[in-house]
Amino acid sequence: MKMRSKYGLPLGVFAAIGLMAGAAIADDTTGLTDTTIKVGVMGPFSGNASSYSKAQIGEMAYYKMINDQGGVHGRKFELIQEDTACQPAKGIAAAKKLVSQDKVFMMHGNSCSGVAMAVKDIVVESGTPWIVAHAVNPNISMPPTPNVFHGVPAGPAYGFTMGKFVMSKPGTKNVVMVEHSNDWAKSYADPTRDYMKSKGVEPSMVLAMERGQTDATAQVLKIRQAKPDFIVASLYEAETVIFLKDLKKYGVTDIPVMGAAGTDLENTLARIGDIDTVKNYYVPHAFIDTVDGPGMKTWNDMILKYYPGETITGFSYVSIGSAVAVVQALKNAGPDLTREKFLAEMDKIKNFDTGIFATNITWAADDRHGVKESAVAGFVDGKPTVMKGWNQPM
Amino acid sequence: MLMQLTVSGFAQGAIYALIALSLTVVFRATTVVNFGHGDFVLGGAFGVYVLVVMLGLPFLPSAIAAIILMFACGILISRGFIDPIKAGPHIGFAMMSISLGYIFRGTTRSIWGREVLPMPRVFDIPPVFIGDVVITGDAMIISGIVALLLVGFFIVFYKTSIGKVIQAVYQSERGATLIGINVRRFHDMMWGAGLAMGAVAGILIAPISLLHPDLGAGFLIRGFAAMTLGGFGSLGGAVAGGLILGITEQYAGAYINTALIDITSYLVIIVVLVVRPSGLFGKRAVVRV
Amino acid sequence: MNQETPKVKSSLMQNARIFYLVPLVAALIPFFANDYLQFMVNMIMVYVLVTVGFNLVIGNLGQLAFANTAFFGIGAYMTAILMNYAGFTFEIALVGAAISGGLAGLLASITALRGIRLYYLAIITLAFGELMRWVYIHAESVTRGTDGLPLPDVTVFGMSMHSETAKFYVFLVITVLVVKGTSNLLKSRVGRAILAIRDNELTTASLGISTANYIILTFVWSGSVVGVAGAMFAASTERVFPESFGLTEVIVHFAMVMVGGAGSLIGSIIGGVVLTALPEYFRQFPGMEELFFGVIIIAVLLFLPKGLVSLLAKVSPLFRERYYRE
Repeated sequence: MKMRSKYGLPLGVFAAIGLMAGAAIADDTTGLTDTTIKVGVMGPFSGNASSYSKAQIGEMAYYKMINDQGGVHGRKFELIQEDTACQPAKGIAAAKKLVSQDKVFMMHGNSCSGVAMAVKDIVVESGTPWIVAHAVNPNISMPPTPNVFHGVPAGPAYGFTMGKFVMSKPGTKNVVMVEHSNDWAKSYADPTRDYMKSKGVEPSMVLAMERGQTDATAQVLKIRQAKPDFIVASLYEAETVIFLKDLKKYGVTDIPVMGAAGTDLENTLARIGDIDTVKNYYVPHAFIDTVDGPGMKTWNDMILKYYPGETITGFSYVSIGSAVAVVQALKNAGPDLTREKFLAEMDKIKNFDTGIFATNITWAADDRHGVKESAVAGFVDGKPTVMKGWNQPM
Repeated sequence: MLMQLTVSGFAQGAIYALIALSLTVVFRATTVVNFGHGDFVLGGAFGVYVLVVMLGLPFLPSAIAAIILMFACGILISRGFIDPIKAGPHIGFAMMSISLGYIFRGTTRSIWGREVLPMPRVFDIPPVFIGDVVITGDAMIISGIVALLLVGFFIVFYKTSIGKVIQAVYQSERGATLIGINVRRFHDMMWGAGLAMGAVAGILIAPISLLHPDLGAGFLIRGFAAMTLGGFGSLGGAVAGGLILGITEQYAGAYINTALIDITSYLVIIVVLVVRPSGLFGKRAVVRV
Repeated sequence: MNQETPKVKSSLMQNARIFYLVPLVAALIPFFANDYLQFMVNMIMVYVLVTVGFNLVIGNLGQLAFANTAFFGIGAYMTAILMNYAGFTFEIALVGAAISGGLAGLLASITALRGIRLYYLAIITLAFGELMRWVYIHAESVTRGTDGLPLPDVTVFGMSMHSETAKFYVFLVITVLVVKGTSNLLKSRVGRAILAIRDNELTTASLGISTANYIILTFVWSGSVVGVAGAMFAASTERVFPESFGLTEVIVHFAMVMVGGAGSLIGSIIGGVVLTALPEYFRQFPGMEELFFGVIIIAVLLFLPKGLVSLLAKVSPLFRERYYRE
């Protein structure tokens, strides 16, 4: 005779409820209808990193443009915007909401590396395709997981770019680094240090300058004493301005400064108002042209069409390249869209010209760092110019 | 390098002194410490930005308009938000002032949230070189204006009849009421004065750093540290504290580690309150039970 | 002959035992909530404990000691450190977090004991919190600085705590225990002494009550409670970052206490729930959060100074705690 446990029925009921709760995740066409594709866009729309969300604005403008052109195979993008305020706890809430409540087909966004690392496990476990479109911490997409893609140069790419430019100046031996002590700055400064070390150069000094500081006298005076060949400054927009102004103030005007991807030349010049102060400033520039250049005009017009009144800076372009690639992959996947097909098509993207990135995108199942390099921009004859190396305009 | 650091620290310290002084004015008059003051300092700066950049008015009238506007805000705050909760616990004042500052910050963020705003350069005075030491136009202007303000403030305080009224209320509110001074209006005026002075500090610092909504927090902490160092409630102490703090920050940053600049204020606060809570010039700060 | 006092049947709303129903009903939540809502409920419990701890010092003891974020961060980092470097499992790390929080509370109480009061206390405790944050950022070899310190697999008594549901039940047990413990504390002599100190320290001391001991006890208990909340926070986010423990966090904690009701344990719970849930709703409107917080605090201060719990107190005597000043 079968022994019937008196707990069988209640357990069975609970198990069934549990299964139903879990079953929602496994569906391969989550977030899709015949006419819509749900895309979760996470970004720091509020808080002290909110200037980064320009990246998400640019990307959303692109998706909206595609919608106006008819969408992809008859499906239009439904963009669900979630604010992370660059705080991990809020980021986790946002990610869980997109995955479990909104049930999006894919996620495309994230400017803050801290938030991205905090939500990584959640996204990976859910199987939701995730294109990281601004945050640079390479560990977000390394080691490769089935569903995470890096659609911008990651830390090592920037380190390579910045370090290479610094070393391309003949005779560079003495390098001083100034940086914020937050993860944003470190994600640029650390790989640059690694690159330089691999070429035999260790920074002679690493100075801290914190966000919100309105004066860089102590840092500049120490630099003046050290007389370096090059300065690497991983600073945000406001602090970059203060630092450059203080360099000029104390007569340190001949040392070139390599910035991080926190600002662009045009806006820095506009904020300082004096070409003499910025003439030695260089920034990594991942795009085909400078902000006011002819190559960017269509992109600028696109952004302004959907977000009139937006001030366009280097941040605005960051996520558009990956959006172009995503749309291509969706087109290639055909009208019977599933997550698997989409992910497979993403891994087939090779040497893809996005029309906005200076370097083409290549993804593979074992290497999700899609953009391996960036160019550098500097002032040549007073105009921002994209450069290959020291004193070598493109 | 020492002289340069001292000069630079002095100019920075002048701003801190002004912020600490404006905090002290309100504190002495009303025993309320305005925890939202940092954001109000920014208020003056944002006001000028709106007037100059968005409405195209020239700088000086805009600055004056912004200062008057912040003065009015001070009166409004005193009347509308502080007065009604007078009878409550001190925590209430702290919370109220923080919240008002927060609303201010939220408003500026909603309007300009994603942007970092450049303030127009006002005076382009070339720097003065004394030997190896650079004294920038900004440093001279800031020190000059702050010095003028302080001198003016102390003249009013000690030499005029208004000043006598202020002193009377500072010393004894009840006594002042008994002799017919309108203490309530006095509180309003002092809030106005405190915010106006804070606005001046904001207007002075804004062209040097760019404007963004989070600048206020740093000002507040520096102001507190200066007040603590100089002695809570001491007007001269606030000024002395501010100057010393500015110079100390520079020295610590240059001679020890640049990472210390950010936490110099916190260290000052902790050391002073542990070693000598009344600061340099303050009255007894401890309650002995 | 036995004279028994007639048993008066108290109505449902007046019997304090109704509060035991709350966790029982709450235990059903995982059956209805998706992962996101579950995460939010877990966060609510974290902040309920934060508020309970903070309220003890601010509301019941009446000291303006803003060391709460310091306790919170110390609890979170200690949990992460113990789990990473000592290989502890969560239940043991939790104890470590409570102890370290308590020690931090002890440290904070020293300033209060030395007679520092009011704004001085507020400022020095704020400075302490920010100093701790600087330490988290710069002690990179231990805390991994701004990269954040990830937690290894979180297990409790051998069972995995990775799913939100598992976290929920663990948090629920912890929360109930801590709240009940605090309730007992407040109802005891200790609680009465604390209130007496708040209302008039000098008089209380002159009654022969050792105010110093009670002040220390309150700070240590508060620190431990918030340290435990920090441990829960770490387990929830599975990665501890310095930015989570800055000045804005203090304001959030403060708001929770004030909006709920300073000095009221139930108020703490209300404040923790309301001010964790509502801002999440407002997250849809970026930039609105600061306005929301500012406005709600001002509204409470002007119109409802005793907090939301005072509304409930009008309805039922259950909410009129003895230690909550009328």
